[in-house]
Amino acid sequence: MNNKARGFFGERPLPKFEVDPQVLRRRSRRDVLLFGAGAVAALAGAGSLLPQNTLTGLGLRRNVNSPGKEWLLNSALRIDDDVAETLYSPRRTVPTYTKSQITPLKNNYNGATPAPRYIPGWHLTLDGLASGVSAPLDIRSLMTRFSIHEQITRLVCVEGWSAIAWWAGLRFDDLLRAFPPTSQAKWVRVESSVNLDASGNPDPYYVSIDLATARHPQTLLATHLNGQPLTVEHGAPLRLLVPVKLGLKNVKAITKITYSAEDPKDYWAERGYSRYDGI
Amino acid sequence: MSRSTTPRKEAISASTLPELPGVLVAKRHHLLVRWSHWLNVPILLGLILSGISIYWASPIYQHKPDPNTGNFDVLADIGIWICAHVPGLHHYSSPPDWIYNHMSLGPGMLALALRLHWLYAYAFMLNGAVYVAGLIAGGGWRGLLPRRTDLLDAFRMFRYYLGFPLAKLARRHWPHPGFNTKYNALQRAAYFSVPLAGCLSVATGWAIHKPMQFHSLAAIFGGFDAARVWHFWLMWVFILFVVPHVILVFADGWDTFRGMIVGWSARVKRSEVHG
Repeated sequence: MNNKARGFFGERPLPKFEVDPQVLRRRSRRDVLLFGAGAVAALAGAGSLLPQNTLTGLGLRRNVNSPGKEWLLNSALRIDDDVAETLYSPRRTVPTYTKSQITPLKNNYNGATPAPRYIPGWHLTLDGLASGVSAPLDIRSLMTRFSIHEQITRLVCVEGWSAIAWWAGLRFDDLLRAFPPTSQAKWVRVESSVNLDASGNPDPYYVSIDLATARHPQTLLATHLNGQPLTVEHGAPLRLLVPVKLGLKNVKAITKITYSAEDPKDYWAERGYSRYDGI
Repeated sequence: MSRSTTPRKEAISASTLPELPGVLVAKRHHLLVRWSHWLNVPILLGLILSGISIYWASPIYQHKPDPNTGNFDVLADIGIWICAHVPGLHHYSSPPDWIYNHMSLGPGMLALALRLHWLYAYAFMLNGAVYVAGLIAGGGWRGLLPRRTDLLDAFRMFRYYLGFPLAKLARRHWPHPGFNTKYNALQRAAYFSVPLAGCLSVATGWAIHKPMQFHSLAAIFGGFDAARVWHFWLMWVFILFVVPHVILVFADGWDTFRGMIVGWSARVKRSEVHG
């Protein structure tokens, strides 16, 4: 039967040919040896990527923290960040939800929440502005000067959980228009008053946000959660809400915003997480 | 029969051997299919180990925290149960971590697990593309397509596999159901579903990884949280496939195993397709 009668999807007979038994044996030996060598190399290669603790657990004491391993893992992270940056579009907005879809939002901050003492004297400092001077702003002037926007969006944590919450605040983009950064600026460094670890010792929290994401229409400097002013647990009086990034970039109780041309330090990037974190 | 004569000429001219009466072999797997098949082993292992470490950070299956231990993770419960019931594990230092210490990179490794998961995920997608290229180049994709008769044939094969060990014990003759295609119906169902599960794993993976940019993809799977559940159970499809797959290949013997390394099978009769 020819191929036409079998149709495009019909199975074809397997190609058959005669070989010398010796050739079959030799070819099998060669390929199986090559395969074995490849398997050993793949096992060693993949195994060396395992964390040191796991390797020690397996009874391998030798330290395999080679620069090559770091390079490979960092490249994977960088490629993934580049992909995320390519996917980002200022016009693509994230889904919004109705009030009936709101879910509980846990306070995932592992450290000690600072005493609310800082709130009365709180102000936001802007640095790296085109004007060259730094601008301190208090919460009342921020809320009266800029229009307040509401949105019900999903916050996605790097750990894998997510929550839908109702936020209100001013647009970061409006702040950028009122206080333009220097023309070279590509990044935003955001600092926080939430700066104590679980035992109450200083543990400054700072993250980097790219300027393009800061300009996204759904990136807010939030003042309210679920219709109420932010509580200390959720970052009173002002927190960053950037739904196109992982939760860890949504800094609570912002104290300072600095625009810069260079990629600023990031708390989580220093701990092995990605830098861009666009989702 | 133009397709079957071309490789014959190639193979003979490539081996530069005189035309001696020899062994008849059939070309079963394209080089790219063989390579990507074996590369799946370290890649899937890396994906599963790092994936369960990621799962640890926020388990899908949770219950109200236990008043005594504070544990809320069902997987950790399984570890606690194992340590309580398996002899020799009664003094295990951290029973809730038992599963994570034995089925993942370990607990508390989220940053590293994520980096490894991205590395292996990109490798998995590239490897999948190589596999598809091999299926097209070798024409092997046709052998994987489901047939109308497959449901009944798959049942016959299933009955054969189930009865085989008993028949062996009872020294009874237990004939293999006849078929004249590259794969039997059960194999075909498995080898068709596993690449499909691979595609779904990649799709749900992107839905979890970029739930905002790909929110319409996440919506297909029921949203971000549901896509995580899909992704978790798709991992089990691979695990549940691999176990009988490896057992059956070893039961089937050397020729089948060699077929995936060398590409040739000397069992020509069984792999024949009658037009």
